[in-house]
Amino acid sequence: MRKITVLIIVALAFALAFSSPAFSARKTVIKIGINAPMTGDIPKVGEGSKYAALLWLEDIEKAGGLEVGGKKYEVELVIEDNESKAESAVKANMKMITQDDVLAIVGPQSSKQAVPAGEVANKYKTVMISPWSTNPATTMDRPYVFRGCFLDPFQGPVVANFITEEFGYTKAAVLYDVASDYPKGLAEVFKAAWEKKHGAGSVVAYESFTTKDTDFSSQLTKIVKSGAQVLFTPQYYNEVPLIVQQAKDLGWKGPIVGSDSWGSAETVELCGEACYGLYFSSHYAAAGAKGATKAFIDRYTENYGYIPDDVAALTWDALKLAQQAIQDSGKITGRIEKDRAAVRDSLAKIKNFAGITGNMTFTEEGDPIKCAVIVKINDNGEYEFYKSSCP
Amino acid sequence: MEIAKKFKNTFSTVPMLSWLLGTLTAVAIEYFWGYDYISYYLGLSKIPVLFGALIMLKEPMMIPGAIGYDLIVYVIPILLIAKTTAFFTNPVAAILEKMPLWFSVILHLLLFYYTLHLWAGINDYRNIIVRLTLISIILTISINVINGYQGEFSCSHPGFMAIGAYVSSALTLFLFANDKMFGTALLPQELGPWGFPFILIAGGIAASLGSLLVAIPSFKTRGDYLAIISLAFMFIVKSAVENLNVIGGARGMGGQPEYAPLPIIFIWTIICIWVIHNFVTSIMGKALNAVRDDEAASESMTVKTRKTKMTAFMFGAFWAGIAGGLFAHVIAYINPGMFSINRLAEILAMVYFGGLNSIVGSIVGAVSINILGEALRPLELFKWIIIPLILIFVMIFRPYGLISFKEINAKRLLRSKHKREQGV
Amino acid sequence: MEALIELVQYILQNVINALQRGSFYAVISIGYSMVYGVLMLFNFAHGDIFMVGTYIGFGIATLFLALFAGFLPGPLIFLATVIVTMFLASWVGVFVEVAGYRPLRSAPRASAAITGLMIGIIFETGILILLGAKRLSFPPLMESVSYKVWGIYLTNVKVIIIIISLLLMLALHTFIQKTKWGMAMRAMSYDFLAVPLMGVSINVIAPLTFAVGAGLAAVAGILYGQAYPILDPYMGVIIGWKAFVAAILGGRGSIKGAALAGYLLGFIEIFVATIFPSTLRDLIAYSIILLILTYRPRGFFGMEHSTKLRL
Repeated sequence: MRKITVLIIVALAFALAFSSPAFSARKTVIKIGINAPMTGDIPKVGEGSKYAALLWLEDIEKAGGLEVGGKKYEVELVIEDNESKAESAVKANMKMITQDDVLAIVGPQSSKQAVPAGEVANKYKTVMISPWSTNPATTMDRPYVFRGCFLDPFQGPVVANFITEEFGYTKAAVLYDVASDYPKGLAEVFKAAWEKKHGAGSVVAYESFTTKDTDFSSQLTKIVKSGAQVLFTPQYYNEVPLIVQQAKDLGWKGPIVGSDSWGSAETVELCGEACYGLYFSSHYAAAGAKGATKAFIDRYTENYGYIPDDVAALTWDALKLAQQAIQDSGKITGRIEKDRAAVRDSLAKIKNFAGITGNMTFTEEGDPIKCAVIVKINDNGEYEFYKSSCP
Repeated sequence: MEIAKKFKNTFSTVPMLSWLLGTLTAVAIEYFWGYDYISYYLGLSKIPVLFGALIMLKEPMMIPGAIGYDLIVYVIPILLIAKTTAFFTNPVAAILEKMPLWFSVILHLLLFYYTLHLWAGINDYRNIIVRLTLISIILTISINVINGYQGEFSCSHPGFMAIGAYVSSALTLFLFANDKMFGTALLPQELGPWGFPFILIAGGIAASLGSLLVAIPSFKTRGDYLAIISLAFMFIVKSAVENLNVIGGARGMGGQPEYAPLPIIFIWTIICIWVIHNFVTSIMGKALNAVRDDEAASESMTVKTRKTKMTAFMFGAFWAGIAGGLFAHVIAYINPGMFSINRLAEILAMVYFGGLNSIVGSIVGAVSINILGEALRPLELFKWIIIPLILIFVMIFRPYGLISFKEINAKRLLRSKHKREQGV
Repeated sequence: MEALIELVQYILQNVINALQRGSFYAVISIGYSMVYGVLMLFNFAHGDIFMVGTYIGFGIATLFLALFAGFLPGPLIFLATVIVTMFLASWVGVFVEVAGYRPLRSAPRASAAITGLMIGIIFETGILILLGAKRLSFPPLMESVSYKVWGIYLTNVKVIIIIISLLLMLALHTFIQKTKWGMAMRAMSYDFLAVPLMGVSINVIAPLTFAVGAGLAAVAGILYGQAYPILDPYMGVIIGWKAFVAAILGGRGSIKGAALAGYLLGFIEIFVATIFPSTLRDLIAYSIILLILTYRPRGFFGMEHSTKLRL
């Protein structure tokens, strides 16, 4: 027994002696949370978010901290993995808000995590900006939740209009993932917009598959047979090359059009020449970018060896938005609830924020009013600006 | 070794009541002085959330501080209080022993709950971990009925959970909440928390009806066919929900009201443990074990094998449905993707890690996998190397799981430890 | 008449599609079925062994293309890649057996299933850590050429996949039926306990079974890389579970059954999506499997055998 007592006392003494910042006052540090899918279905999206955040932090550190109301504060990033799972995203948000005391959260990226995580952020009155979630439910009735991108109900008609104007087609086919909310939602919106334009039944094939499928031959055979002139497929970058390749193998001759989820650099890398000449709607176009956008792309490419995809660009914008909002709030009181409310108010007030993915002004719901870009994959495999469409 | 023996000797006279008191004191210390004094003087920026595991892994410099915190707040008070209060808790425990068992159990549970409540009350992150862990306990025990006591290999638990989650969410949203999916509430919202138990039970019943789809074809013969029938069932449920746009399809269903705070989940967990404990120790449970060990022999001993298996299967599914309902109301959002292969791997890991044929084992399994999953967060990707490695080692050294084939003996657990010293 | 011909063409096109899809399920589920037949164990790591095999194939193919492209004919490079990959991947199978299954010989079967599942997760995460989140594109080992024969679209890749899969299965069948090792495997699946007494060591047969299964999975991986050239660390999960379904559907220990069930799974998936709205594909496909098992609970070629769990 005595030995145990001695052991405990020694351990305690050790603990007290070595706890480095012992007796130091608690510093006010501005913490920003990043809730991203580092593992799971789309690890690349998580990686892009993390890298963009690290670049942002580098800038802040170079400036010696974030200046708010004439005083510089140290900034810390709290990066949490949500494993591409809803409950994990909820837990990560809960941890960052109640344990790490973050001032604002950037993420989660996918709607299936952003919708439940937004509920938590709103409940605890912490600003959350989801850079990539296009589902309307993410920000609906949640004053503390914002997003950095346009919504599905906007994007769908943009694509439908573009196809009609560009090619003059009247019969379209849609191929989407029924088990994933983003493609499914967008497919529905597109179908509605297309049929509104060209009459009921003008979407001649409306086919689906399930997440992680790699064989689309029966759906594509059906699509080819249906006599559709154009194929719209709002899929992620890992499925697009397979869909394009298999469509060609099965005798598809028409154009294939996609949505913002194509916007990863990997789409072209994996797809190769088969994808050249195709169009998709996106948040920004990397090739031929100018000004701040170009600076960001160059820096990212230099640091990480590949051209940033839209997730990285949107995450960067979301972080810049958060930064702006924090600076606009005027003062860090150190009382986290008060600071969070102040950040929320100043974020809602931001007008014409010049982001690298376009100018943004928030609506009442916390959705930005911004333009969509139609991107063409040119013959060098670069994403070239083709057209832009503003609300 | 010597120290361990001495330690064991010193504390062998401490009854459960004292341990609970000790823990309560520790938590109270944390609650009142944790932030302002102890963590402050140790240079920690906040109260460490999971016994400092997160801080230790993230910032190695903080390890001494975190260990010191654990010692000051938990280890020393618990040991000290447990030992010093033994002089009066032993007589108390002896008195309680003479009273009906339920009285003593409820008393201990109340004490335990109060401790848990205080601990989880320090921040809401702890709270949600505790709630999800309790739900995992229900899930693990319920699958143990099928995979452990019944000796089958069932993969359909995520499916049952999904049925329970969707049925109960649809009912609460339909009856008690104003939402976009079903419009205005049918009943006054104040009734919600009172109606919730019935809704949960409805979800459980729906899940056990769904389980018939697996049970009827697969219990005709013995074998591994249950494994794929149940797997197929899981895919069917997921695909069916995806196609039902009425309940949100792949977009999921959100906005469930908060009917599942910690006390409610705690009560449900206790009820689940109690009911399943009674079930597996009943004649039915014995028959179930007999069927597992030798179906032909038990048939000849007048055990109705098919009926026994079906009942147990439906029973397991019922509790999975309850767990699903609670889960939906904790996260306040469900989508079909949540109830798929990943969930299955997690459930299987918990039950086999903890131990087959044992309720205590299931509790241990669920708690350890949940806590490990949270505590190793700072390791990022390496978390998914470490957790599987731990599981593999457990399987190699304890093939039946950590604690298997053991039942809770409440009486023994709670008894006074006076007599021990006389070498009884 | 015109419409009839079109319908026949349409059906034939889908038969080709289904044959290609089914070939993968068949080859992968054979590996599953062998372990299941010989050792009575679920090898839940098999999907991830397939994944690792594909990554190995990717590495070898990239290396060989860099070294030999230009002065060796394409088919030879393909062959060399297949052989080297098979050899390397079979050691992955041996590793899984030795690390995850051997220590659990006398343990309940389900525990071994769990170690398999966990080894699978380690493989997935390991690849993710080693190679990063980037997805890889499998280099084409043969130039894809499309043909249109009687209104049906074919590519040489499709044809080669179907033929090689059939050849592989034939080779395996010969191995199991004609060689001494094959006989030992068959004996082991009849009696797990008595055969070791006859001088056939389970510590040889078990790794061999895993190795053969892993080798097959690796060839499937290379072919998969030709047909669906995108690699990611989680690619083996779903295909592994589906192969599990096919293996048991085929009947315990039946190579023939597993192959047939694999093709059947391919046909069900393709034709359900063709006939019904494709959103209902999984729902209907798995309901059909449920129905089949209700009426044939032993699978196609299942032995009349006590399948008592060793628990």
